[in-house]
Amino acid sequence: MDRFLLFPVFFPMLAGLFAFQLGRWQEKARDMFVLSATAMELLLVLTIWTNPELSQASVAVEGFCALGIRFQAGGFHTLMALLTAAGWLAASVFCREYMVHVRKRNRFYFFWMLTLGATMGVFLSAELFTAFVFFEVMSFTSFVLVIQTEEYQALKAGETYLAVAVIGGLAALAGLFLLYGQLGTLDLDRMGAAAAAVEDRTLLWAGSLLVLVGFGAKAGAFPLHIWLPTAHPAAPAPASAVLSGIIIKTGVYGILVLSTTIFLYDGAWGLLLAAIGTVTMVLGAVLAVCSIDLKRTLACSSISQIGFILVGTAMVCLLGEHNALAVDGTILHILNHSLIKMVLFPLAGIIHLSTHSFDLNEIRGFGRGKPMLALLMGLPMLSLAGVPALNGYVSKTLLHESIVEYIPLAGEYDLLFSALEGLFLLSGGLTLAYMLKLFVCLFVEKNPLPQEVLDKKWRRRGEHYIAPASLGTIACYLLVMVRLGSEPNMTMDAVAAMTRGFLHGHAPDHPVDYFSPVNLEGAGISLAIGAVVYVLVVRLLLVRKKRYFDPIPPGLSLEYGLYRPLLDLLAKTAVVLATLVDRLLPRLLFQALPRWIGRIHQSGVECWEGAVRRLTGGRYAPQPSVEQAADDEHFAHYEDAPRRGGGFVQSLAFGLILTGLGMAFALLFILLYGIHV
Amino acid sequence: MWMLLAIALPMLAGGALAAWRPKDRTARQNFVVGSACLTAACALAAVFTLRGEDPLVLLSMGEKLTIAFQVDGLSCIFAALVSVLWPLASLYAVEYMSREGSENRFFVFYLSSFGVTLGIAFSANVLTMYLFYELLTLATLPLVMHHMDGKARYAGRVYLTYSMCGAALGFIAMVLMIEHGAWFFQFGGSVTVTASKENTLRMAYILGFFGFGVKAAVFPGHKWLLRASVAPTPVTALLHAVAVVKAGVFAVARITWYGFGPDLLRGSWCQYLAMGAAVFTIVYASSKALRTKHLKRRLAWSTVSNLSYILLGIATLTTAGLIAGMVHMVVHAVLKITLFFGVGAVHYKLHRDFVPDVEGCGVLMPVVFGTFAVASLGLMGVPPLAGFASKWLLATAAVGMGEWIGYLGAAALIVSALLTALYLMEIVLLAFFPRQNRQLTVRVPKRARQDPCWRMTVPLTVLSAGSVVLGLGAGVLERTVSLLLGV
Repeated sequence: MDRFLLFPVFFPMLAGLFAFQLGRWQEKARDMFVLSATAMELLLVLTIWTNPELSQASVAVEGFCALGIRFQAGGFHTLMALLTAAGWLAASVFCREYMVHVRKRNRFYFFWMLTLGATMGVFLSAELFTAFVFFEVMSFTSFVLVIQTEEYQALKAGETYLAVAVIGGLAALAGLFLLYGQLGTLDLDRMGAAAAAVEDRTLLWAGSLLVLVGFGAKAGAFPLHIWLPTAHPAAPAPASAVLSGIIIKTGVYGILVLSTTIFLYDGAWGLLLAAIGTVTMVLGAVLAVCSIDLKRTLACSSISQIGFILVGTAMVCLLGEHNALAVDGTILHILNHSLIKMVLFPLAGIIHLSTHSFDLNEIRGFGRGKPMLALLMGLPMLSLAGVPALNGYVSKTLLHESIVEYIPLAGEYDLLFSALEGLFLLSGGLTLAYMLKLFVCLFVEKNPLPQEVLDKKWRRRGEHYIAPASLGTIACYLLVMVRLGSEPNMTMDAVAAMTRGFLHGHAPDHPVDYFSPVNLEGAGISLAIGAVVYVLVVRLLLVRKKRYFDPIPPGLSLEYGLYRPLLDLLAKTAVVLATLVDRLLPRLLFQALPRWIGRIHQSGVECWEGAVRRLTGGRYAPQPSVEQAADDEHFAHYEDAPRRGGGFVQSLAFGLILTGLGMAFALLFILLYGIHV
Repeated sequence: MWMLLAIALPMLAGGALAAWRPKDRTARQNFVVGSACLTAACALAAVFTLRGEDPLVLLSMGEKLTIAFQVDGLSCIFAALVSVLWPLASLYAVEYMSREGSENRFFVFYLSSFGVTLGIAFSANVLTMYLFYELLTLATLPLVMHHMDGKARYAGRVYLTYSMCGAALGFIAMVLMIEHGAWFFQFGGSVTVTASKENTLRMAYILGFFGFGVKAAVFPGHKWLLRASVAPTPVTALLHAVAVVKAGVFAVARITWYGFGPDLLRGSWCQYLAMGAAVFTIVYASSKALRTKHLKRRLAWSTVSNLSYILLGIATLTTAGLIAGMVHMVVHAVLKITLFFGVGAVHYKLHRDFVPDVEGCGVLMPVVFGTFAVASLGLMGVPPLAGFASKWLLATAAVGMGEWIGYLGAAALIVSALLTALYLMEIVLLAFFPRQNRQLTVRVPKRARQDPCWRMTVPLTVLSAGSVVLGLGAGVLERTVSLLLGV
């Protein structure tokens, strides 16, 4: 019976293969097949959720990928699996509307299903090794989703995405080597005990930091968030929805695993996460406020929300045994952010379908006269900003309360954590500010272009801007959000109670009164900050001549300003150093001296020739072609015999070889001599 | 008996081909593929029936010097690997060589080197191994110099010089081994160590490591492999990714584990020197690969780097490391031969040799680039494909040593994996997602814009499918290897 757990992971992968073959023959049949396969996936996960026999199931496949893999259902695993399956179904429904104008749909659906299976594999994994295996598969398959359109921007974004994924993946792999060497197990249940038994924790820290780099890169934590703001706008809308709603949560999953096994109740780890989380939270929000691209704003908002989640995780570690609020807040914020982004990204796609643009100046006023669209978009925006009676408010309140709870316990750090609370409220305010910016731009302001031009430009008008099926799924999501937000004690507390075992959280002493004046006060402060920022910063500073503009200069990016030059420099240094070791001494002796002499001679000759040319007129000199400029002189030109036949004579290797020959002769001599005597 | 048959048959077949000189291409193709299959069958029969039997002494020149053959765990792995790949490569070669000229001469040596390689695999002592090791150089030299133009002659000269001099270093090690009682290979070392001779023997080991390491392309003896990539692709694919270079690795494994023995070397300066050379080669060759634009040479650099992975595993002197090294030997052979075949197919159909030239070719040749992509992902070590499991085993073995050089080795593996990802993904991405969104059709005749015929696509497909299976069943592979080695 436990083997049932393999289905959610491997069924979508096989279905993807089948869909690929089917799509060559019949596109419509393939679309229906993909839809029913994702619906089937949701059913599978629901079965696991409801069936008491399966709800704690665990299954191992020995020998797979050398170490074997293991899956586990129950609690947090099942919740994330449910979110994944539901999100994929919703996005697949939306795909039918959105992907009509995108080329190479067959490839898209193939990798779409592979990514689904791999993501399931991460969330259902019972050990870090399994999580890593599927994490890597997911990175590579989702890369194809990012570059689906194959436009220049998409390829560029895909390059960044892949680079971050590969570097992060390898860092995580290196970390896993160290952890496995230290702990002897990567099992989630046993890692904690094994870590507690290790005396010298230096290597544990080194390994965990490397793993943190890997999973943090996928989660979008500073300073490896660089792929998010470019990859989300470039990917097709359904893909960006699952990227933001689900895939970046796999990174969070990994970080949660570390924080609750090796670093259970570890203050130092908590401080580190708090620092990373705070920077991510504020930076993402600031970037989102400045952005003038609808999807980019949403992507930056994802960075910021990941920051909130990381702060929550930090509090889980810092608060020790009494971390009920932090645990609940972290889990619920993951849930809420996923729900909200799964609505907002498809709606951004809907706007793109009509306007063919994400630029706020272009799509300004699109939503005027579309009250339903305003409702659909407004609710999740307000929810993310933390307006009471919606679900986002609940998790943010919990996170806020956990920080407040820790301030008196912080001792010498209490000022720092008061500052953290301030930054938390500020980021919440900035969330409202950028959401207001989007909302006002779309639904309140008028587009400067005359109506006739707009009608021509925005082809799909009136009530037909959204397909009924997409509308239905989005409405379902909204209903869930409202239900969760309006009766948090019945719904959200139950979800938290079911899943908090994964984070080793204890139940709170008494149910939280979410609508008490104390809790409302925090939200009030945050919203007030947001309103002030919107009026003072966005309206006054970021609008010039009635157009939005991005105050961040394009040159100021971590990727192009720091990472790329640094990597290039590293590679070059490595090659130069290695070549030096090989060639320095012989070259100096045999080549450099003659060459310097030759160069002086050459310049003399050139001066002479220049003078002659000026007197007699120019001479034709062919330029080398691309192939001639290749890396190696012996392959570069197509002459029959290379110019310098002794290319290898001046290397260390040759010296060694000569030594070998000499010793062989010496040995021969000794042997012969020995025989004589 | 099977052993001798497997060694002699391809040599005789090569001689027969030289005497016969068939005019009919089909007849020659059938003959070549047929005798390769037959030899492979003999070799596999030897592997399955004769494992663990006493050495078969063919020629005895006193007690110390004998030419003898045996089948033990290590020879099983190498012989089985070569025998599975050779028929597939022959199938590919007969198609490829139909456009390169001098087919007869080529296949004479192509067949005979199969026998020589099996001779190395089945050799029971260091003298036999040395004999076939030298023969391998001679048998493959005409293959490297096949085109006989300036570049090929130059490459041949370099190859000969490096191999001969490497063998000279190996010769010293051999003499000292025989002098100290290593008359037959034995797992765990066969030299008798006396305290006064320890450092002499270590010195001899280092000479042997770098001498036999020339064929395994360990720094500083790696350059012949780069030059030798002027040879026709079947040669580069089979000999310079599998047979010859793996023979070098095999020889190093033999003298380390069956000759001098790990106990003599463990913790001494020569272990650090050997591991240091391997670590340096891993990083150096990967970074050079990234900066190389010629497709075959890029893969050749990658081979240099990957061979040192195996040497690193062997030089950890732990059984886990040896197993990991052997697993990587198998995995790398299957993956790299696929990559070379893919590049060769591009050359065969489109006459393109440089990385920028493959832009947009993925659509034209879906099978070739599909298999190339699978093999690339495998070599990069994307789980759950083949390269991942072997790298995992190697790195855990290196870390398991618990010394700084082990951590350095694991770090080198990680850095090299990153570089591997960069230099292989560049090719795959260019082929499938052209930058300027252009299809590469300019100046390519219409009949060239497709996959090559089945003789090329079948080996490609079989090998890439095999690599996937190897990756998924890596646990089985690891257990088989450790069972064969008896550890």
